[in-house]
Amino acid sequence: MFEKDIYQLIRGLRAHKGNEREYIQDSLKECRKEIRGADMDQKATALLKLVYLEMFGHDMSWASFNVLEVMSSPKYLQKRVGYLAAVQSFRSDTEVLMLAGNLLKKDLNSPDKIIMALPLITIPHVINASMANSLLGDLVIRLSHSNPAIRKKTIVTLYRLALVYPETLRPAWPKIKERLQDENEDPSVTAAIVNVICELGWRRPQDFLPLAPRLFELLTSNTNNWMAIKIIKLFSTLLPLEPRLAKKLLPPLTNIIKTTPAMSLLYECVNGMIQGGMLDAVEGTTEGDEIARLCVSKLRAMLVVEGDPNLRYVALLAFARITTSHADLVSEHRDVILECIDDPDISIRIRALDLVVGMVDANSLQTVVERLLRQLRTSGRATAADEPSNDRGTHDGIVPRADDDDEALTTIHPREAKSTQPPPLPDDYRTGVIERILSMCSKDTYANMTDFEWYVTVLVELVKQCPAVSAADVSGGAAKSRPSAADAIGDELVNVAVRVKAVRPEAASAAQSLLVLESREHLFPASAGGGHGVLGSSAFVAGEFAGLLPSPEAVLTSLIHPSNAQLPAAVLLSYLQAIPKLFSQLTGNQQGLWNQSHASHCTLVIARIVHFLEPLAIHPNLEVQERAVEFLDLMRLTSEAVSSQPLDDEDNATPRLLSQAIPSLFSGVELNPVAPSALLKVQPPEGLDLDAPINANLNMILQQADLDSEYVETDNEVYKFYHEKPSAVAFDPHRPAAELLDPAGTGSSRSSSYQDAEADSNPESLERKKLMRRERNKDDPYYIDPDRASNSSTPLHNILRSNNGDALDVDSIPVMELNMDASNGHNVPAPPTSDRKPVRKAQRRFEVAADETLGGDNDAPSAFQLTSAASAARGKRSLLEVDSSGLASLSLDDAAAATRSSALEFERRRLEEEEMAKAMKEVERLRLEMQRAQEGIQFGEAPEGGTMVVRKKKKKKARVEGDAEEAANGGDGGEEVGVVKKKKKKKKMAVEDDGQEQQPEEDALVAKGKRKKKRQVVFDENTAAD
Amino acid sequence: MINAVLVFNNNGQPRLTKFYTQLDTSVQQRLISEIFTLVSARPASSCNFLPLPPLLASSSSSSTSNEHNDAPSLVTYGHYATLYFILISTSTESPLALLDFIRVFVEALDKLFENVCELDLIFNFETLHAVLGEMIVGGVVVETSLDKIVEGVRAQGRVMKRPVNESRPGLAQGIWAGR
Repeated sequence: MFEKDIYQLIRGLRAHKGNEREYIQDSLKECRKEIRGADMDQKATALLKLVYLEMFGHDMSWASFNVLEVMSSPKYLQKRVGYLAAVQSFRSDTEVLMLAGNLLKKDLNSPDKIIMALPLITIPHVINASMANSLLGDLVIRLSHSNPAIRKKTIVTLYRLALVYPETLRPAWPKIKERLQDENEDPSVTAAIVNVICELGWRRPQDFLPLAPRLFELLTSNTNNWMAIKIIKLFSTLLPLEPRLAKKLLPPLTNIIKTTPAMSLLYECVNGMIQGGMLDAVEGTTEGDEIARLCVSKLRAMLVVEGDPNLRYVALLAFARITTSHADLVSEHRDVILECIDDPDISIRIRALDLVVGMVDANSLQTVVERLLRQLRTSGRATAADEPSNDRGTHDGIVPRADDDDEALTTIHPREAKSTQPPPLPDDYRTGVIERILSMCSKDTYANMTDFEWYVTVLVELVKQCPAVSAADVSGGAAKSRPSAADAIGDELVNVAVRVKAVRPEAASAAQSLLVLESREHLFPASAGGGHGVLGSSAFVAGEFAGLLPSPEAVLTSLIHPSNAQLPAAVLLSYLQAIPKLFSQLTGNQQGLWNQSHASHCTLVIARIVHFLEPLAIHPNLEVQERAVEFLDLMRLTSEAVSSQPLDDEDNATPRLLSQAIPSLFSGVELNPVAPSALLKVQPPEGLDLDAPINANLNMILQQADLDSEYVETDNEVYKFYHEKPSAVAFDPHRPAAELLDPAGTGSSRSSSYQDAEADSNPESLERKKLMRRERNKDDPYYIDPDRASNSSTPLHNILRSNNGDALDVDSIPVMELNMDASNGHNVPAPPTSDRKPVRKAQRRFEVAADETLGGDNDAPSAFQLTSAASAARGKRSLLEVDSSGLASLSLDDAAAATRSSALEFERRRLEEEEMAKAMKEVERLRLEMQRAQEGIQFGEAPEGGTMVVRKKKKKKARVEGDAEEAANGGDGGEEVGVVKKKKKKKKMAVEDDGQEQQPEEDALVAKGKRKKKRQVVFDENTAAD
Repeated sequence: MINAVLVFNNNGQPRLTKFYTQLDTSVQQRLISEIFTLVSARPASSCNFLPLPPLLASSSSSSTSNEHNDAPSLVTYGHYATLYFILISTSTESPLALLDFIRVFVEALDKLFENVCELDLIFNFETLHAVLGEMIVGGVVVETSLDKIVEGVRAQGRVMKRPVNESRPGLAQGIWAGR
């Protein structure tokens, strides 16, 4: 039977309309078989098929060893397939990566430049730190290869090397610089270098300032627009560092802006000038004014140009970049930017919206918001078919489908296909618009808001425009991670009602209109309950300002409608809380006498409420359950009070429970807005470090407490907390707490000679023994109490710190006393206090209550916030991101490098060592495994032990030099410091010192040193090249 | 730098996927389908820049304060006949220049295949990779000149057209065998 080749696979796929899945599974099975065979042709074909199927999401990581086999094929066509497979399928955890090093080295040194190019374009995809180190030498010499195509690819590959192992850039950089300075260099090589420098540039612009003259020269003698754009981008990061550059760059850039036919270049010129702060640099001079006008007018022209939405989009991007620094320039063009929020293209609208949010003022706010509202009102909603969740791709993954041939045969003209008909507004855009309207209106505590009545109507209107919430979110209930647009509207409603007294009646009636069941259908047309997030907030407003409701009776009726039991728990909670408030409003404030009709009214209302609450007492949500039960009992009490109150007596007033007790539950202090950061702004007392041990003298104090014999140990936990010494040693958090609490569990770090095994299982007897011992020795000043020693470790402090340390720490620190009285007379930082601090923001009749905060003058985030922000920034990493942060600490300036030594460097080195050690073990393991399993397959002439041999060699050399260095330095700072310093002085050391760190593994592998000689040659060559 | 290059057709069938970061196959597929969902909903009159797909948007929105960073911030696409060409890149790339780049890519394919159509790319996806390899290495653009790209690909061996008669599947199967 003949195997399928790649064409047959593809053709087969196309022929099997409808059952592609089966066909693919069969093919995969065949591939598995074929790839294990001995025939290299067959292997390569199978691999190519796998690569094709990988494109459709069929994992091929299991074939990584076969990839390596095909890569090592002597035939170019097979090799190419192998390399392609490596690029597409190798991941950082691919084990055979370690074995690929030798093969890559060998192919890099191939006499055939076509073969040489294969590893060059593959290395960026598979590189890791240890490989970077060993490949560096082979790559650097390729910079002088006769073929420009090889040179330019090498340059980029070296850049990727530097990303995983920044030190490799040090030996490579002078060579790259040399290429750049060479006037006779091939223009594409120069362009590639400029591209790389542009990538490096923003990390450490100062290192590239010396290149400015050459870059300037390249810019002015420009032939390649792509390169010119990159140079301009690079200059815009250099400009802030060197003010003189601005003057120098002005003429050529102006020239380009005026003459270039390429819109991309023109745009980047303008963008670069603005971004680099050039307009500031030349401000005041006549040519400065001229250039500013020129730039902005070009951008404006891009916005208004017909038929090219791309230009509009990028112009808005540029405006957005300068809006922080040149707000005046941007707002001059408010008219055209505002036009863009109605652009048919949603990408453009979003960009414009971002800009507009920053541009609105008191005058334009209403117009802009009305405009956005109209947009929401008039455009259709996305139909179900357009929803991402209904997309085939998301459900099933992508299945290769038989293609429509007529379509596939359509020639791809280098002219873009265009079709027409505008799409309905997608939901996330709707959400975005609503969020931006809210943020525009509430900006700076409603600084721009002049008409709050209008705002309340806008809020109600927005509820109608809320996109539907997906089923998952609804069922998620309280666990919902992201607040929906409706939640945000609800928050605004509460916010306005609480802050602006004058608008409370309107807010209350808005809340009523949202709550009343009859209008529900009209207000929430979106089927899936898009606006339901607003109900909870409405219920709060209605309850809190029940006195202002136009019709509290109707609201209460809606609140206790049986259908409400189906609402999400969070909403239901607000409802439950609002019901008694409304009840007390309806029944409590009767001035008139207690008479028959009144009593029956009360009884009726109570009965209805009880009817609603009863089923909720078994609601699955515990909090709903609790509140329901509480209010249920309250209602029953009230019911008793009502029925026991005599009716006939003339003197009898309303029962006290109704007239006083219940209202007093809900009135009292008035609600005030509190800044979310208020608590964080409680300044930590000077010198307070929550991470530090509670008291440096803790030992001393405990010692004294110890001596006080009146300390009676009734509670073991408390006793331990005060009597165990703090520890600075990190402890394994996964160990069970019980084990940690047992002092004997840490036997390794302390002397266990006095603790016998039985104590382990019996903490009480242990305590007793300890006490006896202390008692015995307490008067002996020379007795070394293990519990008092400062530098041995117990886990207790750590446990406390990690488990409940915060509470303990906070309790022990008198936070309140320290700051309150000093700042502004607030006694309590958090919620309802009666003294408020109204700040006049709005000019007219609305008084907006500002957030209550502490020492409100400074906006500086507290220390807590800073640390959390920093850690968040570190933790987050985008999916496709290639991390180049390692480069930030790498200085290419030799003089600076010689003196610089940072803790970060040490840390990184240590991690690398660990990784290397792990990797070497892995290689050895794999090597043995494969040697056994795959007798026939070796890598050309390179023996498996090659890598190790190189290390071995390096190690020796590095050792000698390291020792010499140490001797020269007078042995200061120990060996490790010596190594690092040395590295900075001599570039080649960068390669060597890893070898030294590998010592333990290598000692075990010395026996494998068969190919020392050849490796030695290569090594010398590259040190010489340095 | 450029983080990924994707080519897929009007139905979301991938024709080329190249990620310059190591990424799990399943995540790659999710990203492709997210981008396809975004791009297929756009009318022709709109601009060639996409909002970030949800997979990418979540992490990058937090770091907008910095002018430059490593996070991909730009999704540029071109729609040529039945195919979408997608570039995902960071802020060091120029948006308009990327559009030109896609154009050069398509022109290079057109020159190599002579009136290139989707079928050519389906059957010769290796060549598609080769063209891209001449233009981008490790996420950095190394060549934008059409002639040099074509020359570089041709140097690697003859570029094949699609198999003859491929337009009529079924008939061709017995006749056309071998490579």
